[in-house]
Amino acid sequence: MAALTHDLQGADREGQVARFQHLRRREQWRYVLLLLPAVVFLIAFYGYPVAAMLTRAFYDPVPGLQNFEPLVTARSTVEFLGLSIPMNAYIRVFWITLQIAAVVTIVSLLLGYPVAYALSSVSASRANLLMIFVLIPFWTSILVRSYAWMVLLGKEGIINEALLAAGLRTEPLVLLNTRLAVYLGMIHIMLPFMILPLYAVMRGIDRNLLRAAGNLGAPPSAVFRRIFLPLSLPGVAAGCLLVFILSLGFYITPALLGGQKDVMVSMLIQQQISLLKWGFGAALALVLLILALGIYALFTRVLGVERVFGSART
Amino acid sequence: MIQRGLTRRELVRRYGAAAAGVALLGPRALSSVASAQEATPVALPEIPAIPAALKGSGNVVVASWGGAVLDAQLKAYIEPFQEMTGITVTVADGPDPSKVKAMVDTGNVEWDVVQLGRGDVLALDGYWEEMDYSLFDTANLDAALMRPDSFAMVLFAEILAYRTDAFPNAPEGWKDFWDVEAFPGSRTMPAAAQLPFLEGAVIADGVPMDEVYPIDIDRAFASFDRIKPHVVKWWEAGAQPAQMLTDNEVPLAVAFNGRITPVKEAGAPVDIQWNEGLLAEDDWAIVKGAPNRENALKFCAFCTLPAPQARFSMLIPYGFVNSKAAELIPADQLARLPTAPELRPKLFLRDEQWWAENRESVIERWNEWILE
Repeated sequence: MAALTHDLQGADREGQVARFQHLRRREQWRYVLLLLPAVVFLIAFYGYPVAAMLTRAFYDPVPGLQNFEPLVTARSTVEFLGLSIPMNAYIRVFWITLQIAAVVTIVSLLLGYPVAYALSSVSASRANLLMIFVLIPFWTSILVRSYAWMVLLGKEGIINEALLAAGLRTEPLVLLNTRLAVYLGMIHIMLPFMILPLYAVMRGIDRNLLRAAGNLGAPPSAVFRRIFLPLSLPGVAAGCLLVFILSLGFYITPALLGGQKDVMVSMLIQQQISLLKWGFGAALALVLLILALGIYALFTRVLGVERVFGSART
Repeated sequence: MIQRGLTRRELVRRYGAAAAGVALLGPRALSSVASAQEATPVALPEIPAIPAALKGSGNVVVASWGGAVLDAQLKAYIEPFQEMTGITVTVADGPDPSKVKAMVDTGNVEWDVVQLGRGDVLALDGYWEEMDYSLFDTANLDAALMRPDSFAMVLFAEILAYRTDAFPNAPEGWKDFWDVEAFPGSRTMPAAAQLPFLEGAVIADGVPMDEVYPIDIDRAFASFDRIKPHVVKWWEAGAQPAQMLTDNEVPLAVAFNGRITPVKEAGAPVDIQWNEGLLAEDDWAIVKGAPNRENALKFCAFCTLPAPQARFSMLIPYGFVNSKAAELIPADQLARLPTAPELRPKLFLRDEQWWAENRESVIERWNEWILE
């Protein structure tokens, strides 16, 4: 008898759960319908053309994987930590690209974090005023800004003329056409992409928490380290992801400011496209895309997608 | 090819605007390059009445490389063509060969006439309308320039350019360009997008100018090995070497003659050494399936008439293709063209066929070599 009652109760509950789940599914479908126009638009005008271009890697000029062969054919070997690693120009370019993107991301974070912190700590009206200084360069053409760096860094540029006039140097420094110039130009362009997400997250941090911690006797450094920094991490993750992935695709700045070894993947892809080797260009683009997706996956796995793109949860 | 640049359409088109922007920010930078085009006002020869067969109606879309070359094309060809024939011209930007391929492959041809290097025309074999020369002033045109699928419309030179204040004696040719002891200082040379300058490399290594082709590629790269440490920049856009010379970034450059002359005339201490320069051509080609093929042919034919040819060469120092144009150009301006009688023997013609066959493998090797 007891068992029967239990079964009846169980069946009843299962029915309720099923009804509830049915309702929830219906509700979720409504949300899917809201997404539909944007999804259809993206698939038709973005997804399809990109896929059509990228799949060329597998059939242009002939079906097969031969477009990926140059990427894995060793032309030489490089000694690294006692291992000899097979090397070719394409692997080198991918490596250079990752290296440049990583340095740009780290330096942008180090420079951008204090700026975002200051912006989020002053009054809203003052922050809006200061924000103009972040946004004006953001709105200026990348090409113009790259040229401005050429004016600054040239052999007879402003920096060298000043150093020579001040008697600090007898010979001009080689600044232009170097990796340093690439970093400077790219960091300058990428800073707003770091500052804006950081600022958005930091604005959302409840300052009462900091005051409370102070009240309870935490010194300022501990307040920052144990309260503010962890709460600002979603902004750090979003900013770093944005800057890193945008940096992977840089083209004009390294071409104008870089030296002969500062070749990035997009320069190589463009070269293949204009040589009409579209299949190989597509293969390079596909590898770059997979690399970017892989890094995105790594970020979201380590930090959780909520943390990367969600707002700060206090 | 003359104008081809980084992102081609974008960079090349915006070069002028960018230069102006930088001139506002910095002391000299590119201002001298930017103002050079306005430095010499020229009285252009009038175009006499044209054959009735060239007149028409409707439209034609011309894709050009923009910048200084387009400015000259507007005054020399496009504006008078519209006035005299009644056909309107729409100028499109950046005739990248890959765009021609995309247009023809997808059956969505938007351009009628494109300006491309002969090598690009060869690389896109089968993507062009056949040239019909019945409308052309064939009596005064060199038959060698009249290809079945394209027509040479401008001749330009890739030359040695140098700063006159850098050395006691002018460099005499590519041997001197490679001689970093007698001519110390940095260099800038074309990158893969403009074809690596293998010709200069083998000439510097002792190959006579008229025996350059077929190029000994191994020998060229061995020669490049010697100059590589001194090349601070492998340039991709034609404006770059002129600007680097003006800013004293380098005392020696491989550059297009049409980019150096305006800078020199604007007063920069730079000059051209024509010896062992490379002569190359840009062509008009009509895209297969061009919607306005008839008007495109009329446009090409009009451009090759003596007066438009003379006007173009006076506006930008690139060579003309109609021999009668020489009579319309003042002697001092004639002397600065790569096709001038005193200069032409110093130059050799690029073997486009050799490049069409070897471009891909040379650039593959180049990519490997540049990162070594």
